Amino acid sequence: MSSFFQLVVIGAGPGGYAAAFLAADLGMEVAIIEKEINPGGVCLYRGCIPSKAFLHVAKIMNEAKHAQAFGIEYSAPKIDINKLRDWKKSVVSKLTGGLGQLTRARKIKYFQGEASFINSNTLKVKKADGSFEEIGFKNAILATGSRPSVIPNLPKSPDIWDSTTALELENIPENLLVVGGGYIGMELGTVYHELGSKVSVVEMTPGLLPGADRDLADVLYKRVKTLFSKIMLETKVVKMETNPNGITVTFADKDGKEFKEEYNKVLVSIGRRPNSENLGLENTKVKITPRGFVEVNDQRQTTDPNIYAIGDIAGDPMLAHKASHEGRVAVESIAGKRVAFEPQAIPAVVFTDPEISWCGLTEIDAAKAGREVIVTKFPWAASGRALTLDRTEGLTKLIIDPKTQRVLGMGIVGVGAGDMIAEGVVAIEMGAVAQDLKLSIHPHPTLSETIMEDAESFFGHSTHIYKPKK
Amino acid sequence: MTNNKAIMTEFKLPELGENISQGTVTKILVKSGDAIKKGQNVLELETDKAVLEVPSNTDGIVGEILVKSGSIVKVGQSIFKLQGSSSTASSPTPTETKTFQVKSEDQPSAEPAKAAAVASGPIDIMEIKLPALGENIEKGTVTKVLVKVGDMLQKGQNILEIETDKAVLEVPSSSEGLIKEILIKAGAVIKVGQPIFKIEGGIVPQKTTSAVPQAGPVVKTTVPIETIAPVSTPSSLSSLTPVPIRKDIPAAPSVRLLARELGIDIALVPGSGPGGRISNNDVKAYCKMLNTTRPAGGGSVASQPLPNFTKWGSVRREAMSNVRRKTAEHLSHAWSSIPHVTQFDKVDITELEKLRKSISGTHKKISVTPFIIKVIALALKKFPQFNSSIDMTTQETIFKDYINIGVAVDTDRGLLVPVLKNVDKMTVLQISDELVAMAERAKLRKTTIEEMQGGCFTISNLGGIGGTSFTPIINWPEVAILGISRGSMEPIYTDGNFVPKLMLPLSLSYDHRVIDGADGARFIRWVCEALGQPTSLELNK
Repeated sequence: MSSFFQLVVIGAGPGGYAAAFLAADLGMEVAIIEKEINPGGVCLYRGCIPSKAFLHVAKIMNEAKHAQAFGIEYSAPKIDINKLRDWKKSVVSKLTGGLGQLTRARKIKYFQGEASFINSNTLKVKKADGSFEEIGFKNAILATGSRPSVIPNLPKSPDIWDSTTALELENIPENLLVVGGGYIGMELGTVYHELGSKVSVVEMTPGLLPGADRDLADVLYKRVKTLFSKIMLETKVVKMETNPNGITVTFADKDGKEFKEEYNKVLVSIGRRPNSENLGLENTKVKITPRGFVEVNDQRQTTDPNIYAIGDIAGDPMLAHKASHEGRVAVESIAGKRVAFEPQAIPAVVFTDPEISWCGLTEIDAAKAGREVIVTKFPWAASGRALTLDRTEGLTKLIIDPKTQRVLGMGIVGVGAGDMIAEGVVAIEMGAVAQDLKLSIHPHPTLSETIMEDAESFFGHSTHIYKPKK
Repeated sequence: MTNNKAIMTEFKLPELGENISQGTVTKILVKSGDAIKKGQNVLELETDKAVLEVPSNTDGIVGEILVKSGSIVKVGQSIFKLQGSSSTASSPTPTETKTFQVKSEDQPSAEPAKAAAVASGPIDIMEIKLPALGENIEKGTVTKVLVKVGDMLQKGQNILEIETDKAVLEVPSSSEGLIKEILIKAGAVIKVGQPIFKIEGGIVPQKTTSAVPQAGPVVKTTVPIETIAPVSTPSSLSSLTPVPIRKDIPAAPSVRLLARELGIDIALVPGSGPGGRISNNDVKAYCKMLNTTRPAGGGSVASQPLPNFTKWGSVRREAMSNVRRKTAEHLSHAWSSIPHVTQFDKVDITELEKLRKSISGTHKKISVTPFIIKVIALALKKFPQFNSSIDMTTQETIFKDYINIGVAVDTDRGLLVPVLKNVDKMTVLQISDELVAMAERAKLRKTTIEEMQGGCFTISNLGGIGGTSFTPIINWPEVAILGISRGSMEPIYTDGNFVPKLMLPLSLSYDHRVIDGADGARFIRWVCEALGQPTSLELNK
């Protein structure tokens, strides 16, 4: 055995590197094993960050177009796809390179390679140069993340994309089919729509963004319906065949009636699955659920006491901010602190246009649990700020406990909803009641006022909404 | 109750008295097939302090006997099966009685909670709830979880160790199946009926009676089954849905952290803020409350890990007797909660000895103890703070208008302290008679619980064995105790000469919270002087 570490972190995504950095800051001897040359993971290399770079571009293009309504007209944009791709790459390499520097500054040993467990104290690393090294450890944190789910039995074709290939921005197809109306499909569909593709979406369930409250998702649906060429709900993909121009897709609608359409490219975004295979976990006491997640307790410790697991591999929701929080919990637990992963609210943000965000209890959850709640909604048509943006389709809602008046959940749809949801997270974590939000002065004129006014409307009066007395 | 079969019930251990939750069976007075009558003694039971005979509260024919001599049985536990009885007081409800009839052979023997009939059925995932632990026990603190996730649970297997305010109990499972999730952990306070585990693929008894909370499934959760259609479009967003909110606790993350660091279950902390919000101060107040209400002793006895004694030679472990255990708990509590001071003195009992001998001649043999009891009774009237108790929760001193004095008796079972009631109204001779009778009963294990309760002050006389002095531990909730060692002839310098005097050493321990040092000294001086002039004692009044 050539080396020994107090902590080995396998996978350096937002969960893994947050864990490794904290451990090093706490004085542990730490190693990272990661396939890429620098930390970052899916989030930085082929997820959150590149997609948000493109979505920013899409937003600018959209707003330039929208300016027509105010009497400002731009000529049609010229798109240099190579330059756009390079810009995305520069964002990614700047961020990941920075993380590499932070790793070295903390004296964390970085192995570029793939890890496999020999037992509960030893790992084998297959390094990038093909050589092998055995590493001993006291504790290990599994942070190997997830990858896009695939549809079985699809033809092999460069015209069938997943989120990774879509973010490569190889070309801008004339016709693009997005399979799956979840957040990844809707975000990437938005990007390609703005870049000029005719985008169609197929979704098996009756609505976009299943899991989000309907009143929020409906606002997005209304908007994309006018932008995208086709949104097929309650429709299944039956078959895909290659043709010289791309892919012929056979659909079945809810009555089982089949029909065919041709697309240049098909983006499959039907979810993600945890990377729990090929890690030699069978040589440890780690248990894996039928869905491929690693079983963990409140401290994110697996059934093997030496090994912890965080992030996508440790269960839903697969979100970077959940992973990094879990990473810090796991490390503090290893350091002997009494901590637990016990969020009252994990925010979810869909970076479409308009954005959708929510946290805590949703109306769907409350209905499932049979829990009585009071839902108050504030339509952005009554917001001065929304009017100045000419984006009044938004909605802010609060989910409130009728007995204690505590804020249990918050949901927002509208421009900037992603940034606003943090207030909801703090309110829920702090156990705030509706009065607290109502009595906290919110800055004017901003969209955040909609939260304050929504809390006011819980008490039956809101400055900018008149409700006739019953 | 539609058929004509004989009604099968169980005779359960009835309530035995205040604070008595269990006892050791010393004798079973009936056998299978006996016809018993209401009021007939069926069991002899040794509890913490007394041996009791337990009468039946019903008529019937004894069926299978479920306990044996030496078993520790708890209040509410089934003792034997009983046939042909009418509904009895020992069966908590008639509904329960009815269920026995359905399938009595499935009754587990030693667990009161499993009184329901067993009708099995396969269920996917179910919750196991904390069964009824006994009468008047509603909750307890989990001291140990004896199983873990992934264990295959067997019926009857112990799953939890739980400490109630009466005893530490092991809780057996009434179900079998694979443990999927443990919903509680060590240290948590759980209530009867609260879900404790989720198990899968189990066969559990269906709940057939609503009278008693059962260890059985009440909530049936469906297992989420993931169906993956070959070419379908399940949404990717399902993975974006926040995990179900765990516990709905209105406390800021920093407050939850504080509670965790203090080892407190935040769910139990009452919140004082709007909407029940829990503050740091609420957590601290709760913590303080736990510390003041939890008896200070007991825990300290076993809290330190023991060394491995076998390193130095062979050892033998023996279970503590009930009396020993109770003594250990009681004295630890007294020692750790009372600030003790012990005041020593010697009393000249030369005159008293003369008096004692003269009376003993005419009457029967009288020891020195009745005289001391009489003097203490008088002293307690003169110094009322010695006849008090402290209530720290209300910060009050409780003064007693009666005078009951306990006398420590050494028996083969250990230390017992029977109490002489209203000694101030008794003569020395009456005290002496009563004392003899009491000691006799104690040695024959006939002392009742009532006889050992209600003391105001305790006397411990070790003079018969020897010793010059010792520091007795106060018999909480009393506030003072008098220890008597062996008297001896000593030369006392009086009027320029050494005179032989019979001197008796006394040791007075008192609770310094309620008795000041000067008062302690005054008390023992007063006692010494009174004993030194025995003619002043009103022997016959």
